[in-house]
Amino acid sequence: MTNLGEFALWVALPVAAWGMALGFAGGRTQRGDLVLSAERSIYAVFFLLVLASAGVMAAFIGDKFQYWYVASYSNAELEIFYKITGLWAGQRGSLLFWALLLGFFSSICVFLNRTKHREFMPYVAAVLQGVMLFFITVLLFADVNPFEQFDFTPANGQGLNPQLQNYWMTIHPPTLYLGFTAFTIPFAFAVAALLNGRLDARWIQLTRRWILTSWFFLSIGIVMGMRWAYEELGWGGYWFWDPVENASLLPWLTATAFLHSIQIQEKRGMLKVWNMSLVLMTFLLTIFATFLTRSGLIESVHSFAQEIKIAYIFLGFMGSILAGCVVLILYRLPKLQSENRIESFVSRESAFLFNNLILIGAAFAVFWGTIFPLVAEAVTGEKISVGPPFFEKVNFPIGLVLLALAGIGPVIAWRRASKRNLQKNFIIPTAVGLAVAAGLWIVGARHALALVTWSICAFVVVIIAIEFWKGTRARARIEGEGYVLALFHLVTRNRRRWGGYVVHIGMVMIYFAFAGAAYNVDERAHLNPGESVEVTSPFGHTYTLTHEGLSVSIGRGQRNLVWQAIATISVKRNGKARGILTSEKRRYTTSETLMTEVGIRSNAQEDLYLILSALDDPDGALAADSDAQGIDLQVLIKPFVAWIWYGTLMLAIGTLIALWPSVDRKRLVLEAMTERPAGDPAVAGAAD
Amino acid sequence: MKKHSRFMVGLVGVAAIVSYLMWTGVSETMVYFLTPTELLERAAADPSFHEVGVKVSGQVVPGTYARVAGELLHTFTVRDLEDEAVEFQVEFRDALPDTFTDEVEVVLEGRLRADGVFEAATLLTKCGSRYEASPEDLPR
Amino acid sequence: MTPPLRALRTRTTVALLFGGMLVAAAVVLFIIQPVVKGLHASLERDENELTDTEARKRVALLALRDVEYDFLAGKLDEVDYRSLKSELTAEALAALEADEAVQGGSAATAGADLEEEIAQIRAGLESGTGCGACSFINDEGSRFCSSCGCALPAEVAG
Repeated sequence: MTNLGEFALWVALPVAAWGMALGFAGGRTQRGDLVLSAERSIYAVFFLLVLASAGVMAAFIGDKFQYWYVASYSNAELEIFYKITGLWAGQRGSLLFWALLLGFFSSICVFLNRTKHREFMPYVAAVLQGVMLFFITVLLFADVNPFEQFDFTPANGQGLNPQLQNYWMTIHPPTLYLGFTAFTIPFAFAVAALLNGRLDARWIQLTRRWILTSWFFLSIGIVMGMRWAYEELGWGGYWFWDPVENASLLPWLTATAFLHSIQIQEKRGMLKVWNMSLVLMTFLLTIFATFLTRSGLIESVHSFAQEIKIAYIFLGFMGSILAGCVVLILYRLPKLQSENRIESFVSRESAFLFNNLILIGAAFAVFWGTIFPLVAEAVTGEKISVGPPFFEKVNFPIGLVLLALAGIGPVIAWRRASKRNLQKNFIIPTAVGLAVAAGLWIVGARHALALVTWSICAFVVVIIAIEFWKGTRARARIEGEGYVLALFHLVTRNRRRWGGYVVHIGMVMIYFAFAGAAYNVDERAHLNPGESVEVTSPFGHTYTLTHEGLSVSIGRGQRNLVWQAIATISVKRNGKARGILTSEKRRYTTSETLMTEVGIRSNAQEDLYLILSALDDPDGALAADSDAQGIDLQVLIKPFVAWIWYGTLMLAIGTLIALWPSVDRKRLVLEAMTERPAGDPAVAGAAD
Repeated sequence: MKKHSRFMVGLVGVAAIVSYLMWTGVSETMVYFLTPTELLERAAADPSFHEVGVKVSGQVVPGTYARVAGELLHTFTVRDLEDEAVEFQVEFRDALPDTFTDEVEVVLEGRLRADGVFEAATLLTKCGSRYEASPEDLPR
Repeated sequence: MTPPLRALRTRTTVALLFGGMLVAAAVVLFIIQPVVKGLHASLERDENELTDTEARKRVALLALRDVEYDFLAGKLDEVDYRSLKSELTAEALAALEADEAVQGGSAATAGADLEEEIAQIRAGLESGTGCGACSFINDEGSRFCSSCGCALPAEVAG
């Protein structure tokens, strides 16, 4: 099977090249037979990549350690689950996996559009195959072939890094890759639009769902990475401004900007060049993200390998795409002129534009901060380090403005907002925001940044709640429906808008959680069995944590585990027993150092996070020596962290609402024309 | 041109603010990343360097690790990777990472005190084989 | 290598070769077939797809609808509502006309009821009285312009 897979990968190379060539040729000559052949080659490449991926999986499952990749990331004792997911455990397999997902999305795109959007599809197919061709070429010729073999067969593999042996690590990369690869589709449509000259809002309308899909997976993938870091890295944090984290954040920032600016193009015919640039930039950033995590160029927790050859290849690819697209955009500049202009600084167009500028600004800052050490070293010879303080200093103000815009955008009027419009819609929310800030101040919260964040959160929540309320009430009155039904119809008639509001609520919840970090508590204690430490939460209550004992198990449980020492800590809150938490030290066969598993007790108010920092005497503990049971315990209290996860769920729901397919297009036109509110507006009592 | 003037004003305004944030961000938070040799040289040349936060990479000298009993204080000696004669004492008042071993390569962030001891605020170990695979050395 | 093992090895290699050739042949045939046999992918616009002018028409009408609902929900006050409505109405009419011109009056792409509805709505929009001074389109039967207050020409009113 593995040999067949390797062969399939080689066959995929000419097929992809064929598809790219025929796609372009078919588009130029408008020959349907060439186009059909190109579309079929997309299905064919996907099929071949499935074979190739199956081949790699078969090698893992069959313990074929003569394959460098299998020997590097597996051993005979590894659980079958991690053998299967070994496909994306390392650089080589990840690139193949990426290509597989691209093939998957390309096939879906071509299939769904086999009778639609035909003026775009030949070029779309060509571009998709072109990107595919790049990845296959890299796999086969850049020393990163997952099928590379030794000339001998090792007796056993190296095994998988223990920190990768948990379920988050198996779903985080695929989700993120789904987001990255899905964005190739909008990019392909953008290039197709540049090539065939159809540069109004159509290419955007038909890729809107793909953009949302990509954004959905990107958002969830990034948050999964945060959750993994929080649970597994054992430092109590969820984001470290690590180069690879930043690399995945960059396309998310630009994709978010894009999601907003396309609305301006659709409604007002503006920002055509801007949108083209954004889609190009986002696509390049997804390739940059692949490149950064694969080239070892910037040392980080995530670095996969040190190969530089692949760095040049990726840079070359990105450079060519950039150059090619810039040429195309310049060539089409006449058709990309705006149809309207911004009439007022105080308008929804302006708010959206501001949102875009802010997001791009943040992306630029993150990008610059990530590569700055490299650039500085190249230019000045000095080795300089830029860490979390930089990113926080720049991004906190930007983030707060963005949050405020999430509230301003939905209610400020298009074209120009009159004073009355502003008064009507912003007085109450602003008042509530200030009241929240005042209230928090009164109860003793003094951290400026957190107070500002929470009051802006209140501002946005009130605006969106009022939106829902007003919309539901108006609809209920007009259509004579009950409120629940009215709300349902309200949302389903305009999924995009109301789904967007739900996403904004999710973002508010996430910001709310982030601000809680201002009140983190961090205590260290040395405990012998029976001893306790008291830690006070910022909310006023006190936890009493008692070291109940150390239990050691040797050679049991997970395979590849040499031993684990589990510290049992009983938790009392204000004197009342609340259960137990455990934290452990583990020694794996595949790693020279110990690993720590933390204990977390989470509720909506705060997370109680315990870390077994050190065993006084590991050898003694293993020998069950009763004098060697002392531990160093680190206790963290992290307010509101759970709201990150709740907020992400809300975000996901909102995106799904916005994604949900609507009725067919002709009916939509009919609805738009006939759905006039009954009766004369002036009589129906518009004033609230 | 007039059409885009509002757009341009906004663009320039935001760009200016972001640039300002980045500029001050870098200058306030940036730290030099030095070797022990470079650090000691600079400190000798410029006494005020003792107040500056820096990042240093080096290696822990085997056998020099000690844990001060009863306190959360670890002490050890770190030497230059290239020139093993250059070394200084380090004091670290936090939990040691699991990957800390007797001869590990470390990246310290902190400051070199006037008395020649490096006060480390953060300690990272270079876990070389964390994600790297080198199975060529596996037994057949 | 012992003979049985060698035989097994050879058999596996043959099987692999055969399987590989099969896959390669199938793939090549699959993608070559359209060119050789003259099978064509459609390059025509689908019936259900909106044309450019239809798309613009839809956007304009949806904008009008949103303004109505926003007003009823109390987000816009009356002055803003009327001024926005007049702008959007003008745009909607322009879009409707552009679409009609493109379609050449052919009713083939729309159902008969849709055409009737469109005609009705257009009539409603067009029968509103345009003010000479500020070009706001007032409702039928108005005597004074709701936007600027000027008197409307007597013969058009009623």
